Amino acid sequence: MGAAVAGWTVAAVLLQVAGLSLFLYGFFPVKPTLRGFSGPESYRMPSCGPVSAGEQKPALPPDQRRSLYRELSEMPPVYDRLVLMVIDGLPAEFVLGKGGKPPSKELMESMPYTQSLLAGCQAAGYHAKAAPPTVTMPRLKAMVSGAIGGFLDVAFNFNTQAFLEDNLLDQLHMIGHKLVMLGDETWIKLFPTLFARQDGVSSFYVRDTVEVDFNVSRHLEFELAAKDWSVLVLHYLGLDHVGHIGGRRSVLMTQKMKEMDEVIRRVHDASLQDNLERTLLVVVSDHGMTEGGNHGGSSYEETDSLALFVGHSVERAHCSPYNQNEALQVDLAPTLALLFGIPIPKNNIGVLLPEVLNSLTDDQKLRTLELNSWQILRLLQAQMPAFCLEDCINSEGGLGIVVHPESIEKEFCHLLSKAFVSHQSSCLHQSSNFKSAEAQYVGTAVENYYGFLRYASEWLSHRATDKPFYLLISAILLMTMSCLFLMGAVSRLFKGQSLSQTDQLSESYLEQRWHLDEVFILTGIFLYVISLGSSSFVEEEQYTWNFLTSTLYLIFLIKTVQSMLKGSNSTLVHGAEEKSFDGNNFLCATSYELTPGKRDGYKLCTVLIVLVAGRVIRAWHQGGINWVHFPDISKLLAQADSCIVKSLQTISVLAVVALYSVSLMLLRARSKVVIGVWLSHISCGLLVLLHIWENQINTSLPINHSTTSIARLFYAIASVSISATVLASPWIFPIYSTEAKPASSSDSNLVKDIDSHGISDSVFLTGITYTVFWCLLQLLLQQPINAIPLLLIFLQTVSSVVHFSLDKTLHKQWVQVIAMQFLGMAGHFGLGNTNSLASIDVAGAFIGISSYSTVLSGILMFIITYGSPLMLYLGMVVYISVKDISTPRQLWSYILDKMVTMPCLLPLLINSVALTSYTIVLLLMRNHLFVWSVFSPKYLYVCAATVCTYVGVFIIAVTAVYTCTVFSFRARRYRDQSH
Amino acid sequence: MRASVTEISAFTAAAAHVLCFAGLAVAHSLAGPGAPVSDPARALRLLVVCEAPVIIAVFSYLRRDPKSCSFFKAAARGLIGLPVGAFFNAFGAIVLGAPVGIKYWMVTIYWSLLMSLFTFVPAACVFGVSKIDWQTVLCHSIYFTPTDVENYMISAPCHGAVLGAWLGAWPMPLDWERPWQEWPICVTYGAVAGHLVGMAVSPVLIAVHKRRVRAKAD
Repeated sequence: MGAAVAGWTVAAVLLQVAGLSLFLYGFFPVKPTLRGFSGPESYRMPSCGPVSAGEQKPALPPDQRRSLYRELSEMPPVYDRLVLMVIDGLPAEFVLGKGGKPPSKELMESMPYTQSLLAGCQAAGYHAKAAPPTVTMPRLKAMVSGAIGGFLDVAFNFNTQAFLEDNLLDQLHMIGHKLVMLGDETWIKLFPTLFARQDGVSSFYVRDTVEVDFNVSRHLEFELAAKDWSVLVLHYLGLDHVGHIGGRRSVLMTQKMKEMDEVIRRVHDASLQDNLERTLLVVVSDHGMTEGGNHGGSSYEETDSLALFVGHSVERAHCSPYNQNEALQVDLAPTLALLFGIPIPKNNIGVLLPEVLNSLTDDQKLRTLELNSWQILRLLQAQMPAFCLEDCINSEGGLGIVVHPESIEKEFCHLLSKAFVSHQSSCLHQSSNFKSAEAQYVGTAVENYYGFLRYASEWLSHRATDKPFYLLISAILLMTMSCLFLMGAVSRLFKGQSLSQTDQLSESYLEQRWHLDEVFILTGIFLYVISLGSSSFVEEEQYTWNFLTSTLYLIFLIKTVQSMLKGSNSTLVHGAEEKSFDGNNFLCATSYELTPGKRDGYKLCTVLIVLVAGRVIRAWHQGGINWVHFPDISKLLAQADSCIVKSLQTISVLAVVALYSVSLMLLRARSKVVIGVWLSHISCGLLVLLHIWENQINTSLPINHSTTSIARLFYAIASVSISATVLASPWIFPIYSTEAKPASSSDSNLVKDIDSHGISDSVFLTGITYTVFWCLLQLLLQQPINAIPLLLIFLQTVSSVVHFSLDKTLHKQWVQVIAMQFLGMAGHFGLGNTNSLASIDVAGAFIGISSYSTVLSGILMFIITYGSPLMLYLGMVVYISVKDISTPRQLWSYILDKMVTMPCLLPLLINSVALTSYTIVLLLMRNHLFVWSVFSPKYLYVCAATVCTYVGVFIIAVTAVYTCTVFSFRARRYRDQSH
Repeated sequence: MRASVTEISAFTAAAAHVLCFAGLAVAHSLAGPGAPVSDPARALRLLVVCEAPVIIAVFSYLRRDPKSCSFFKAAARGLIGLPVGAFFNAFGAIVLGAPVGIKYWMVTIYWSLLMSLFTFVPAACVFGVSKIDWQTVLCHSIYFTPTDVENYMISAPCHGAVLGAWLGAWPMPLDWERPWQEWPICVTYGAVAGHLVGMAVSPVLIAVHKRRVRAKAD
């Protein structure tokens, strides 16, 4: 039976992987874009019929191209030189305030020069809303191309590839501008051959806040003096790093903003020196940051990025700089393109920013709007091939007013023809002498253009890209099939068990009818699946898991009390009397000679520990995405003295070390290996302590070399001792119970005497070693405030295992396994994770890594994010060791079967159910407003959770299989020797 | 001992529940419409004050062992059971995530007193410290196995209240920004609704049970 189940499982997993990759391929497509670059045709009105992409004109030399553009556009470029200064992660709020109010005094004072520019109406600032995901690379692409990229750009953010779409920089390069880039090397990865001079800095070493900006600014003097470039890109990363380390209110923030202000002053001074005023300074940020300094999601704090224009064309007599001027980040592309006399990039969905073009005449303004409309119209035609401008104008006859346009195409038609008609009439009236009448006509024309542009831009950005529906459906079918396979395997397992257990009296009691906890688990999973369909439940998933987990354990509590009431007339022992938390729990894990009263006490106690710890964990990180502002312990600690946090960390480390020591002592095996592992564990604990005390958050030193080497030493010792334990533990425990060993003479006797304690002890040693080393690793990597939640999750794991081992008849096995999985999910959210990409802890992913490596830091990030579920999977190794595996027939395969099938199959099944149902939800929600901001990030988490499940199950299975193989080998050898 | 137990008819149970329902209705009318949302502490206090005497009186009258235990003794049991049950309910609520801020203390206490009235007090009045009865009340299997009539009368409203409160907590994290999403308003609504459903169901259960027993006897 075992082989068949394993076969089905592997088939199911393979099917699931296939379905998942198909779905990912189909749902997150590489966005269909217009290929090629805009050329002279963009200055002509788009014609009807299919878009002819095949026209390949001979490439013009840059100078000719430039003059051609100037001729066609009927207006000279406004600027010749561009300084694009990107300040990574600067929220617009810091410069422009919020809701019409200027920023706080402290922030105003930290950017004196910029604020004076704003106050003097020499600069125009916008809250440029960035599209999610708010991660650097997709945002840079959006700024230079005006297109909103596909969602999976996040995944590629760590592995940037050259940017091939139509964009500003390539266009500028084509007309002979010389480009210089200083700063984030993402630019170099996007445009590997474009820059005449470049100096890239890595954006991934988050702990460095000083060096990274110094490396940019050191070139400033030279570059500002040099006259050869006409486009200078500066990308400062320091502010983002400050945010990642210390959040919005970090002490380093004002200092960093002063530094940025100084750069702006220098650049602006230099640009003023050439009197022609042909330089435009654009200060932008790629995204904002949350209160905690992270980004990636779609909250206002993260999407509120800055676009600040400094140049002669924005100067005006009156202004109110702190008005909430809203724009989109993509609006930058058409605005810059028209200011510099280049065609607007083909895939742009941005709309011209009006205030930046103050110096143009009315005629020119209308011309720029016309160009922008033509470009958007081309994009619309690519999306709707039937759409044709001429038809619109003809059918409406220039005057027909459709009050209720039936289709989206008609609406576009209507808006567009209105705009063009008013433009024409304003041209006709230009010669008239009445200024006021002319201004009025221009005003209507501008208004009509914006009406069309805004509407089209919104439609284009919200339009879900066409998805291959049948591909997605078949992917879902594959996943459903895999889910059914797993269900089939599990049901087979249950059937097999109920057949084999008829002889066991103790278990037959359980078979009578459905119990409350079993009913609850099924209902709970059902409710969870339902809740995935609601965006607010996805945003606040931590509530669901907490609620379900604590309800489950409350039911365990009730069942425990019930069993105590039902139990013998022995005196009721109340758990409160002997609430001995740590050490004694292990005592009952290994020694089975407990009085019933004491046993009941421990049972009650362990459940209470799980419940109370769960409540504390819940209070540690309150709120997911909507309720982030709720007060909680982590925010309290963030404001408190760092000494308190450090002492809490120390307590956690000491507690973990102490628990491990106690559990090893209870093993009663004093072999050298055990002592060695124990010593190495203590040294690892000391290393973590050392790392905690060495680690100063607010040092300005870029790389703290001592902490790096400590972390590396930790990795080395931990990996060596874990692998040594895993390999050695099956060899050191006796295969036969000691009293039976000398007496065994006959074969039948011998087979009976195989001691299942040996194998249990060995798996126990391996499991507990896994768990505590994992705990130490997490204490090293996680944010300091997460130390206590980690300890609590560890306690929950241990208590659950003890609880389940105390009374094997109270809950069925599958209930126990699922309870542990629930704990893992609740803990996952308890460590501050949410379903937004912003909560991924980037800073921790570089501990112990001195040079940037995508793979290593990716693995560390995964370890940090999935710390809790993996800890519970490792805890399940301990759990299988305390299970009753003694069988009447001592077959190794049978023992293996009993040990491993349930803890492996059930997590796979639960995960498969969650994955499949969420995939269906995502497909149904594909046109939902929140699909990119809420549902898609969650889908990435679901995929990562699937990987996590595979890893966990793999570890459980491999450990059990290895141990059983070694024991069977030893048993055979022993038998051979005794013959 | 079992023989001396008075048999309770479906009619008696229904009458008892009507009395309890009257207590709730009086409290509601005293509080006025919208009171639970605008001033949850006051509304809860009124509910507890109106409901407590009714429930204690009704269930003390229906006590299991009228021979050995006087009405007042049963009532005293109920009075003691009130804070004890409130403690258990508060523990459950807080473990499940009820806020513990100072702002919420009062409402949490009132809420748990009310929950205690719905769940713990009736059982305390009727059973006293009889272990075996408590065990059957805790268990959900009474719906499938024949038991005593009082069990239905006590268990069904009690389980209904707990289930209702549990379900009532689900809308709390939603971002609808309605005032009733605050702790403990929607939980109270759920609990009261569940309790009412339980009260309505229990006479039916009793009637069905009686018929089954009679059929078996024939």
